[in-house]
Amino acid sequence: MDVLLLALGNVLTPMALLTLLLGTLAGMTIGSLPGLSSTMGVALCIPITFNMPPDLALILLGAVYVSSVYGGSVTAILLRTPGTDASIATALDGYPLAAAGRGSEALGMATLASLFGGLFSVVVLIAIAPPLSTVALAFGPQEYTVLAIFGLVTIVSVASDRPLKGVLSAAVGLVLATVGLDTFTGMQRFTFGHSELFDGVPLLPVLIGLFSVSQAFNLCVPAGGGVLSGTAQQLRGRRLPAWLDIRRCLRTMLRSSVIGSVVGILPGAGTSIASFISYSEARRHSSTPERFGKGELEGVAASESANNAVTGGTLIPTLTLGIPGNAVTAVFIGGLTIHGMIPGPSLFTQHAETTYTLILSLLLANLLFALVGLWLCRHLVVVTKVPGAVLGPMILVFSVIGTFALRNEIFDVWLALAFGVVGFFMERWRYPAAPLVIALILGPILEVNFRRSMQIAHWDLTTFFTRPLSLGLCLLVVLALAYPLWAQWRRRRHAPT
Amino acid sequence: MKTLHMSVRKVGLGVVSALLATGLSTTTLAADYPSKPIQMIVAFGAGGSTDTMARIFAKYVEEELGQRVVVVNRPGAGGELGWVHLANAAPDGYTIGLINSPVVEVYPFTREESVGYSLDDLRPLANVITDPGMLVVAADSPYQNLDDFVAAVQSDPESIIISHEGVGGDDHLAALNFAAEANVDLNFVAYNGNAEATASLLGGHITAFAGNMSEAVTQIQEGKARGLAIWSEERGEPLPDVPTGREQGYDVLAAASRGFAMPADVPQEIYDLLLEASRNVIDNPEFRAEMERLNMPVDPIYGQDYVDFIDDSHARLKALWEQDPWVEQ
Repeated sequence: MDVLLLALGNVLTPMALLTLLLGTLAGMTIGSLPGLSSTMGVALCIPITFNMPPDLALILLGAVYVSSVYGGSVTAILLRTPGTDASIATALDGYPLAAAGRGSEALGMATLASLFGGLFSVVVLIAIAPPLSTVALAFGPQEYTVLAIFGLVTIVSVASDRPLKGVLSAAVGLVLATVGLDTFTGMQRFTFGHSELFDGVPLLPVLIGLFSVSQAFNLCVPAGGGVLSGTAQQLRGRRLPAWLDIRRCLRTMLRSSVIGSVVGILPGAGTSIASFISYSEARRHSSTPERFGKGELEGVAASESANNAVTGGTLIPTLTLGIPGNAVTAVFIGGLTIHGMIPGPSLFTQHAETTYTLILSLLLANLLFALVGLWLCRHLVVVTKVPGAVLGPMILVFSVIGTFALRNEIFDVWLALAFGVVGFFMERWRYPAAPLVIALILGPILEVNFRRSMQIAHWDLTTFFTRPLSLGLCLLVVLALAYPLWAQWRRRRHAPT
Repeated sequence: MKTLHMSVRKVGLGVVSALLATGLSTTTLAADYPSKPIQMIVAFGAGGSTDTMARIFAKYVEEELGQRVVVVNRPGAGGELGWVHLANAAPDGYTIGLINSPVVEVYPFTREESVGYSLDDLRPLANVITDPGMLVVAADSPYQNLDDFVAAVQSDPESIIISHEGVGGDDHLAALNFAAEANVDLNFVAYNGNAEATASLLGGHITAFAGNMSEAVTQIQEGKARGLAIWSEERGEPLPDVPTGREQGYDVLAAASRGFAMPADVPQEIYDLLLEASRNVIDNPEFRAEMERLNMPVDPIYGQDYVDFIDDSHARLKALWEQDPWVEQ
């Protein structure tokens, strides 16, 4: 406890609070711009921290990290341009709400859910980090394989009203996921000699193309033909979500925060798996699943509490084992070691004061972005009234800059523009784009872990059912698939004849 | 899309050559060098170990040159994209970059069909870090040394699973080299990065981990993992208890080295000036202290010695490749 008080003293100095504020604002901005990921935000801050005392350095990195994940929700909701894959699921319901003029309410819900998820995961990090970190080790290739399948099952939820088109879109994503150097043999697959494709079809250019660039095209095309004009005619609804709505979503927020924290612990998973699984589970438990995808506040709450819960989760193996939970925390490890702190158990003994300073600053950063976010809601929502002819070109410019900034490759910009055209027509013909992106993310995870499992188990497929953890996950997959059918059957049986 | 891409590149080259043709001869360039910021190409992503070293080096070399040094990340294709950009940059001294041995000298023959640069396009300047390779097992593993491990592989080759981080990377090559020395076949499982592989090792999903000292040092010092061997001539400074391969009778030397290179046609005066600056940075005790904290062993190799080092490694690995290629064609 003494060390917590000392850490509290470190966080509450004027210099620390100023760093926290600047980090939070910078993180929110980075998160809301297309292509500027949390990883890049934190990495760009590392050189700045070289000459800072360790406490301040970690406060800055922590604040940028948690607030950049939140920042992605703003553009996902208001413009349907998720900055990274973490907020695609937020856009599914957030954007229909914004298009109906209820953007402020959606933003409010996203902010509260992010706060809930963020705080939940930090509390988990403080309370039970060491025992939980063993989860990271318990997950072997078999478990990752089943987790990836679980992620793919969520496509059913995401494309609920157009299942066949959703599956087709996912199939295209899986095919694209085969492009690149074979991790096991080094053989080139469908790269056509383009070294830009050796690491696979880069995710963010595809994401920015399908969502942001296509949205820019949409906004420039006059409304009609069943296509959304993209801008809200008038702002309706409440400034913040009603207490009743918030209370209704509490269970979803709690469930999603647990999912987010656990997925965060796994180094081989990713933020988007957490938000899609949470979204799908929220829909499964909802009494009105048909409202998901058309502007359901609960969908926004599910995705946002999950992706912010990932932040604390990823720090659990990072701080206790020295194994980064994702790319952002890998950068964190670099930042820690520069200041002489080697991640591992010694962080909580030798460097306890600084470590708890970091954890407390995460708590404060969560509160801070929520305050700023709630205050900004009603101002930001005006964006949805800007004419599409102005907004479209602006989104296009930011998309091009963001895509180029990813790795300074003009190839990626062409890729994003090409996928912008693809996305534009997919929307016209009512093919959902999210399944394609989910499949592109999960395809390589599934393939690599399946092949690892098979090598380890000597091609014995029962390995997925003989390991308790893997078997449990298999049952969850079956449950997620079978439950909607069962619910439908029950509803039919109880329906008056 | 390809033609568009190519034409943009051509326009870009045209602009550069037009600028060069406006009367800037190399002598005037060298006289007031550096008169504008220098870009430092890092062929890996921001926040990785190569990037971290580059940014720290940049901070010190800025003081030496009195000019800003801007780190530009050009990750992709295991470093190849960045090296293509470095090789094609204007040789005016305003672009330098990091090269990672042995991968930089391996691509020109393993990716012969598609590779976008040749070693002749690059002029190595100075090596900074040499991170020795290691073979690591979990602390509760029954294997205490390489002989134990080899005996286990001989009795049941299928059940001994060893990770590496990328086909043809230094970890993979080191393990292949060891397998050849021990006359066994190893059952490799590929991982995408050291985080997942370390988690798999500590979780007991794989038997051994082929990686670098800087990646393994924390887990070994914490008592969670054990080094079976380090592939260097002498034992690693932070791990005095881990014997070398040679001590155990396996003649394997492998490491990942990181140093600087420039486009091949850079003027000699500028090359010498940067060589001098690099020497001063590497000799700076503060720089050394930062490298030590990051568990990055400093191993200075300068100028022609570094060129020879890369050429020798290239010739040696190419011979190995021609004997037994490790990538399916």
